[in-house]
Amino acid sequence: MMLRVVVKFLLLSEAFAVATYAVGWWAIPLVALVCGFVMNREGRPIYYATICAAAGWLSLLLLDAARGPLGEVASRFGGVMGFPPAALIVTTLIFPALLAWSASSLGVVIRAKFFGAREMTPANA
Amino acid sequence: MRVGIASIVLAVLLFTGFRSVGTLPPLGKLLDPANGVWATARAADLPPIESGSIPGLHQTVQVLFDDRGVPHIFAQNEDDAYRALGYVSARDRLFQMELSTLAAAGRLTEWLGPKALEADRATRTLGLPWGVERKFAAYDRKSLGYRAMTAYSDGVNAWISSMKRQDLPIEFRLLGVAPFKWEPVNSIHFFSKMALTLGFNDASYARLAAQARVGRAAADALFPINSPIQEPIQPNGLFAPRYDLAAIPAPGAPDSRATVAIAAQKSLIAALGIGKPNADGDAIGSNNWAVAPKRTASGHALLAGDPHLDLTLPSIWYEMHIVIPGKLDVAGVGFPGVPGVVIGFNRNVAWTFTNTGSDVNDYYMEDVDDASRPSRYRVDGKWLALEKRIESYHGPAGAVLHTDTLYYTHRGPMTKLNDKWVSMRWTAYEPSSETDNFLKAGYARNANEWLDAMSTFVAPTQNGLVADGAGNIAIRSAGHYPVRPGDGRGDVIRDGSLSSSDWVGFLPVSKYPFAMNPPQGFLASANQQPVDPKVNPSFMGSHWYSPWRAIRINQLLRGDSAVTADAMRKFQTDPGSVRADAFVPRFLAAAAREDSAGRADATLREAAKLLSEWDRQYTKTNRRAVLFDKAMTELASRTWDELAPPAGSHDDPTATEYPESQILLELMETPNSPWWDDHRTRNVTEDRDAILSESLSAALVAVKKRRGDPAGDGWLWSNAQPANIYHLARIKSFSALGIPIVGGPGTLSPSDTSGKQGPSWRMVVELGPQVKAWATYPGGQSGNPASPRYTDRLKLWANGELAPVLFPRTPNELPPNRVISNLTLHPQ
Repeated sequence: MMLRVVVKFLLLSEAFAVATYAVGWWAIPLVALVCGFVMNREGRPIYYATICAAAGWLSLLLLDAARGPLGEVASRFGGVMGFPPAALIVTTLIFPALLAWSASSLGVVIRAKFFGAREMTPANA
Repeated sequence: MRVGIASIVLAVLLFTGFRSVGTLPPLGKLLDPANGVWATARAADLPPIESGSIPGLHQTVQVLFDDRGVPHIFAQNEDDAYRALGYVSARDRLFQMELSTLAAAGRLTEWLGPKALEADRATRTLGLPWGVERKFAAYDRKSLGYRAMTAYSDGVNAWISSMKRQDLPIEFRLLGVAPFKWEPVNSIHFFSKMALTLGFNDASYARLAAQARVGRAAADALFPINSPIQEPIQPNGLFAPRYDLAAIPAPGAPDSRATVAIAAQKSLIAALGIGKPNADGDAIGSNNWAVAPKRTASGHALLAGDPHLDLTLPSIWYEMHIVIPGKLDVAGVGFPGVPGVVIGFNRNVAWTFTNTGSDVNDYYMEDVDDASRPSRYRVDGKWLALEKRIESYHGPAGAVLHTDTLYYTHRGPMTKLNDKWVSMRWTAYEPSSETDNFLKAGYARNANEWLDAMSTFVAPTQNGLVADGAGNIAIRSAGHYPVRPGDGRGDVIRDGSLSSSDWVGFLPVSKYPFAMNPPQGFLASANQQPVDPKVNPSFMGSHWYSPWRAIRINQLLRGDSAVTADAMRKFQTDPGSVRADAFVPRFLAAAAREDSAGRADATLREAAKLLSEWDRQYTKTNRRAVLFDKAMTELASRTWDELAPPAGSHDDPTATEYPESQILLELMETPNSPWWDDHRTRNVTEDRDAILSESLSAALVAVKKRRGDPAGDGWLWSNAQPANIYHLARIKSFSALGIPIVGGPGTLSPSDTSGKQGPSWRMVVELGPQVKAWATYPGGQSGNPASPRYTDRLKLWANGELAPVLFPRTPNELPPNRVISNLTLHPQ
């Protein structure tokens, strides 16, 4: 069960990361919307989308950090935005998390509308 | 409820992700760690090994970057070398190159929108882009310069088209713009902007303003054609400065004609967007000097270059080394956006420049057929057609923000002043080939060949100093000097309706200020008047900077008959001040005389005591220079109060331009001159000692108020006047501010209170059998603020130290442990 959760977390995080790398930041709400729509409620789509979007971007940040002075970017860019470097990194993680939360929430609602009450029966739970 | 909140949050995030809000750029693109700002971290360091390709490249080019970030370009032919240079320059400095181009071409609105409109209009009204187009059209298509600009352009565009997502400079991301395609003409735009910075001498403004207040005789003495202290660039055979101090005529009656003329000039300057001309001459300026083998410890010629310009991050300079076996082997610095070395050295010759500051622009009052919509102008009774241009200013999305109609006579662009039209002629508009001059200089095998290469240089006039391996040293103030009709002066508005008002030609090269291998064994320039008027009285300009720096470097060079390269380095940050040597004793003597006459109060006695503690050295740790500098400011405003606008005037008193401090020294010879009287104090007639004392006392009060106790750190020079090196877009977190430095007004490393100008490149070269060079500049080779190469030279620069410059003949001569990146460029 635990392994399944970890695998699910890793796969979804990397899905967000790969989509961002390939398409751009706006891939986050798209992937999250799909998550909300595809995963059933018991799969906790909103929770996973929110956490995994942030984790996906964190993995990209770590890749950046492995290949260059990320701290220096945080310091210089933070100065531009008027943020301390750490706050800028936190903002960078909150941004996809909020995008994913809001988009996956809508995905869940659309799914509910699409499948109707069928999904709400105990048999489908 | 939850759906509603989610929808709102998503909408807000998508909006701020895609669109800029206020000054914030679109957040999505920016925060994206794969493609946004964070990705620039991946481009901060150079990869150890990499390859690229450039269309048109004939053969493979190897570029080795040393641990100072300097590219050593090994190519087989010139075109390939400049393609490679364009490629690596763009990789390191693309934003700077494109921003400089847009600024010089009056196209900033294309990035910045309407807020840049007035700056762009001023640039185009001044005729800078018009002049560049004329120059480019006239450029010899077969010349080395044209080929190099084209090849360089190929290299820049190859880089732009091959950029990976992390390579786009952060500034483009913040502005939300994309790089544009590079054109060869952009290199000329850069020189045009330099001509504005260095070659737009409006000395007539200060003199006319003074004439309007105190009459012509006094104004001519306050803003003279010749410096009263002569230590010229072209040695005059004396072994000390000559002081031609004369009595300054008393303030006369205001000159109403000058009042009209100055109003016109003020409007003109405002219309052209040039701002107040002529900054404090004591606080800025470049130096260069060379020493012949007979006065060096090594027996080889030595040369020092120290051009002072606006300090920016990244630096105005980009360091490079270009090798074409058997043909070219040149190192030094050039401008990002321009192919080739501007200041540097090869195996035989080293060279550098200071600005001459000659008067090379004139105004003409034109007679037009229609004051509101002119189509013709009259010269000698004949109507001539005006050149008309419609200038369009585009916004970031391409929409036309504004259009202007500009008119040009054969002299240059016209500007409307009320119902009159004034045209301007300026050497910066003349056809020229600066790129060729600098490129050819790199091939010189001796000083004479270098002088030949620079003989056709046009603008801005430069004091070009050269030394060679055979021990020759030479200096020539090269550039076009207009020859005017009549008295030859260039500081008046001339009648444009007469062809006899036009320039009659340019000085021949043989008449340029020049010296080669003088008996004194050294040559030096520091923006002082180039030729002693007793040697050559021709008009070359007026209102020259005070020669304090020139005197100091001559003192140092005269006092050392075995100069070493390290001594040359130390001279560059010498804290000694001839200006302080001249004025401090006078302040102290005046205070002593006031004291013995019973007129000194406790403040004056304390100020004199504190000033007497100063060793007159602008070191970082001294606590008294700040008092002296404030006293000098007070002295100027109290002495020249007659030049300030009268009470009730709408003129800005802070815009009053005072004479150079050498004129103050001249005035010291007349203790009871009416100039000393401060006409703002009624019923009192001050003399020299009273004004010196009052200035010193007032300085103490002001400095204590601002900086606290004289023993405190507030008085430290390092805190009072640090260097402030701003990012090109003035982004504070990309800037380096408050850097303690040695030097102040009048020293060899001058600075002003803004800290925004200073030594932009320091270089010492020894021309022995193996050329040795040491150099640095403030900043680093990379334009990426996250790169360790962005500010890696700052500490060295601030400490007045220089780094040895690597100068390998082949790739194998570069020590492997000094190579940080190996780039191979292939034909595409």
